[in-house]
Amino acid sequence: MTEALEITGLTVRHGAVVAVRDAALSVPAGAITGLVGVNGAGKSSLLRAVVGLAAADGGIRLGDRELSGLSVEARIGAGLAYVPEGRRVFPGMTVEENLLVAGPGNARRRRERLAQALELFPQLAPRRADRAWQLSGGQQQMLAIGRALMADPAVYLMDEPTLGLAPRVIEDVADGLARLATNGAAILLAEQNAGFAEHVCERIVGIRTGRIEPGAVS
Amino acid sequence: MLSAQLALNAVALGAAYALVAIGFVLVLNATTAVNFAHGESVVAGGFAAVALTGLVAGIWPGAVPGIVLLPGVLLLTALLGLAIAGLAYLPIRDRPPVSVFVTTIAFGIIVANGLNAGFGAAPRTAPALLGGGTVELLGITASRQSLAIIATAAILIGALAFLLQRTQLGRRFRACAQDPEMARALGIRLTRITLLGFALGTAFAGAAGLLLAHQFFVTPSDGASLILKAYIAVVIGGWGSLRGAALGAFLIAVFEVAVASVSSQPMAEGLLYAAVLLVLLVRPEGIFGEPQRLRA
Amino acid sequence: MMAGILASVRANLSILLAGGALAVYALAFASSYDQRLLTISGIYVIMVLGYQFIFGHAGALSLAQGAFFGIGAYVTGILGSQFGAGFLATFPLSIAVAAGLALLVAFPVLRLASHYFALATLALSQLLLLIAVNWEPVTGGANGLPGVPPITIGDWRIARGTPLLVFVWVLAFAAILIARWQLNPRRVAMFTVMRESPLAVAAFGIDPGLLRLRAFLLSAAFGGAAGALFVHTNRVVSPETLGFGIMVTCLTMTVVGGRLRIPGAIIGALLLTHLPEWFRGLDEYYLVAVGVLLLAMVVFAPDGLASFIGRAPTGDRVNAPPTVRTSPEQRPSVGEPALAVQAVSKRYGGIQALDNVGLSINPGEIVGLIGANGAGKTTLANIVSGLDRPDSGTLFSRGLDLASTSPTAIARHGVARTFQTPQLPDMLTVRDAVETAAASATVRPDTDAILAGCHLSQNTDAGCGTLPHGMRRRVEIARALAGAPYLLVLDEPAAGLAPEEQLEIAAILRARAADGLALLVIDHNLDFLRPLATRLACLDGGCLIADGPVEAVLADPAVRDAYFGLVTP
Repeated sequence: MTEALEITGLTVRHGAVVAVRDAALSVPAGAITGLVGVNGAGKSSLLRAVVGLAAADGGIRLGDRELSGLSVEARIGAGLAYVPEGRRVFPGMTVEENLLVAGPGNARRRRERLAQALELFPQLAPRRADRAWQLSGGQQQMLAIGRALMADPAVYLMDEPTLGLAPRVIEDVADGLARLATNGAAILLAEQNAGFAEHVCERIVGIRTGRIEPGAVS
Repeated sequence: MLSAQLALNAVALGAAYALVAIGFVLVLNATTAVNFAHGESVVAGGFAAVALTGLVAGIWPGAVPGIVLLPGVLLLTALLGLAIAGLAYLPIRDRPPVSVFVTTIAFGIIVANGLNAGFGAAPRTAPALLGGGTVELLGITASRQSLAIIATAAILIGALAFLLQRTQLGRRFRACAQDPEMARALGIRLTRITLLGFALGTAFAGAAGLLLAHQFFVTPSDGASLILKAYIAVVIGGWGSLRGAALGAFLIAVFEVAVASVSSQPMAEGLLYAAVLLVLLVRPEGIFGEPQRLRA
Repeated sequence: MMAGILASVRANLSILLAGGALAVYALAFASSYDQRLLTISGIYVIMVLGYQFIFGHAGALSLAQGAFFGIGAYVTGILGSQFGAGFLATFPLSIAVAAGLALLVAFPVLRLASHYFALATLALSQLLLLIAVNWEPVTGGANGLPGVPPITIGDWRIARGTPLLVFVWVLAFAAILIARWQLNPRRVAMFTVMRESPLAVAAFGIDPGLLRLRAFLLSAAFGGAAGALFVHTNRVVSPETLGFGIMVTCLTMTVVGGRLRIPGAIIGALLLTHLPEWFRGLDEYYLVAVGVLLLAMVVFAPDGLASFIGRAPTGDRVNAPPTVRTSPEQRPSVGEPALAVQAVSKRYGGIQALDNVGLSINPGEIVGLIGANGAGKTTLANIVSGLDRPDSGTLFSRGLDLASTSPTAIARHGVARTFQTPQLPDMLTVRDAVETAAASATVRPDTDAILAGCHLSQNTDAGCGTLPHGMRRRVEIARALAGAPYLLVLDEPAAGLAPEEQLEIAAILRARAADGLALLVIDHNLDFLRPLATRLACLDGGCLIADGPVEAVLADPAVRDAYFGLVTP
């Protein structure tokens, strides 16, 4: 397995608070890696730092590119995709618009990816003209993941995708994630729910008060 | 028929005001910042028309129709919008909103007094869009200018709607308006969207200036009442809503024309402001607007 | 300490010398034109001092200062020129009418969020301007009213030139004294808290509405006074006094001089009245230059020129009156619950945030509240402190119905709270931060003892903005304790802290509980809660699924399932 994303010595500060301390983590392609810890452990801060929404020191390597120091747009362009906690779909825009807005500049490729996203989550297809605020939590989560797919990323960073979802819907989401991984994507999944993480991930890394715990569970 | 003509005037005025209000909301959506120089941008559009008339008159055979000046006015005021964005907004975008109020007020002062120094304080007028006079339409004697204003505004608004609803750029703009951080996380360049918002918003203001200058004249000090009307339209229609702003603008125009026809223009304005204060007393969030968040 | 006093004298000395030099110049060397400029400067000092209350201290963009100036001008102008009324009648009336107008519009206007407030004040100004220009019989219309008499007090007529100059500056000096009196260190600190922590301010028993009202009324009164003096100087009143020009001048002077400091008003007024003279070559472009100056100041020097002189804005130490130690006998009797929550439910949109939750806490108990994110913990904390209301159920705290009491009153009653992100006023020292939090307590607690109890005795003079995170957490707890509460709700007090700091916080809290304080501690961190809490409650999806001794709750499979997700699907 090639390492799609390699994080070394990552320290994230919010003002005087150290949210993540000297974290090291590898995320291989074609697999789902779980980052498990309770709230406040630093999962979200770590993901946000990788995307560039939080200031951090340390190395973030995507394939053969060093991302630290690059702007958020540049990192997304390099092949990162971020699905934040709470889904954050654009409420006033339709499902289709939510997907398209995340797509590339070329209209034809955009339409192709749109088709791929709807194929990944067929439940969204009948609702493509509905505004995102009308969707259920699970559908919004699928929309958020599909939106990430539109950029054809190499690495997906997902923050608690199952929060607030019913078990059956969680299964659908898990299926989608598995298919993404099978297609070669690297997925870093931040989760509180250790049970779900074990169910879905090939590998689990623990995080506790900002530090990665030694000894990953596979 | 007097009342039909009045209604047409109200619609035309409403169309022009709608351009002002929509322009205001475009900047608001792109930045969550209130652009206090927006009123002066309308005035700048009017004066741009005045200046361009002089330039074009040499080349154009006969009287210059105002519509010819529109592209020039749009371009000049769009550039003004970029200047406001670059000098009064981007340098302080991380500071509290009060700072942006003050810098845009300052920019408005610069524009208003620059125009005053350059053109003088006397009211000026721009040529009618397609010539003056009246046309017979559906049995009504309608002012040609009023019809032209309505048509021009409709075309501009239609073009904007197309941009926002059907193009990728428009989608990105709306995404930034709804959740700027998430938009960034999708790789959308916020600064470009900000500049687009300011350019488009100010261009719409400038177009309104051209449309209003013929009948209502334009003076460098008109800015304050214009920003106030844009503000009121947005409060009526809901903070941040483009459709709401247009609706609010029409309501203001109807109110103004109706009151002015029975008393006077100053009375109409005065009653409008008094009405606004009354509305804010009862509903601090406007008539359709967002629920009152904790005092920010 | 000696060095501090000497430095203070030295800083004031330069101002005194400058003032002295200016006075000598004004009285001995200035031409009558220069004297007029200085008179106008003095008038603007009064106006800007007033504006500092609402724009600087209260942090609200009021666009009505020109309106108050104009109202004062017109009252004096109309009464003086049409009815021949003397200064002793017109001056107080100008102030009263301006303040009265402010009071009239205060209620709706002060409730508004910032952009609506600016809009409302702008609408007010434009309305007054329209009235002035169009109500010719009374206001003289666009041309205004000539023939405003000079200032006459009884038989004493104050002539133009030196007498008027001195008179105006005496009044300006009086205005400065009034401003200093109103802006005592405690009130400045309260304003600072209101600006910097708008959401938390009610939790400290500070009523933001009253503070803003005071600021707005003062700004109106000062503005009206300035307007009255202005027309006495110009001998004519016209709509210019109500126009946006005055407002812009006022705003620029305040921003350039410094919006939070009294010397800023003097600097701004003096500078901007004289700038046209210095920039005379610019002619009509002078105002363009003013706009550029304003823009540049906001971007590059937002605190104004006064920030380059000496002390920090809060100035003197807040002097606490003699303290009364809270004695153990004053603690509530054991057996009366500090908090009694019964069947509380709360729904947000489609989510049941709290579902029939019941909980009680006795004095001296430390109840830990755990649960996954979104399980309802912060909602419960908000409802207890009055920031939110339950849909159903009751909450009582020593006889007070929390569901129908304002957060300010709840705080004053003795229910204190900390927040997930410490809401500290960065510009205050640690001691001042704790003092202002005690501002409205019914019993004055012993600040030194509280600071000692939170291990802050070594750092009382440090500015809150400079503190590392662990210390910020302790200051927040100290502030919550300053009001002598009997119930303290803490929202993730140990988040982001290193293990040693967590132990320190736990020790502080345990000591307070031993004194009889009831504690509700919301947290995820079991390492922190386990040794600290006497009881543990667990929320899951809004329901309280466990409440009991710590180890028993942690061993409960339902809790493990909900909280840890260790049961595989």
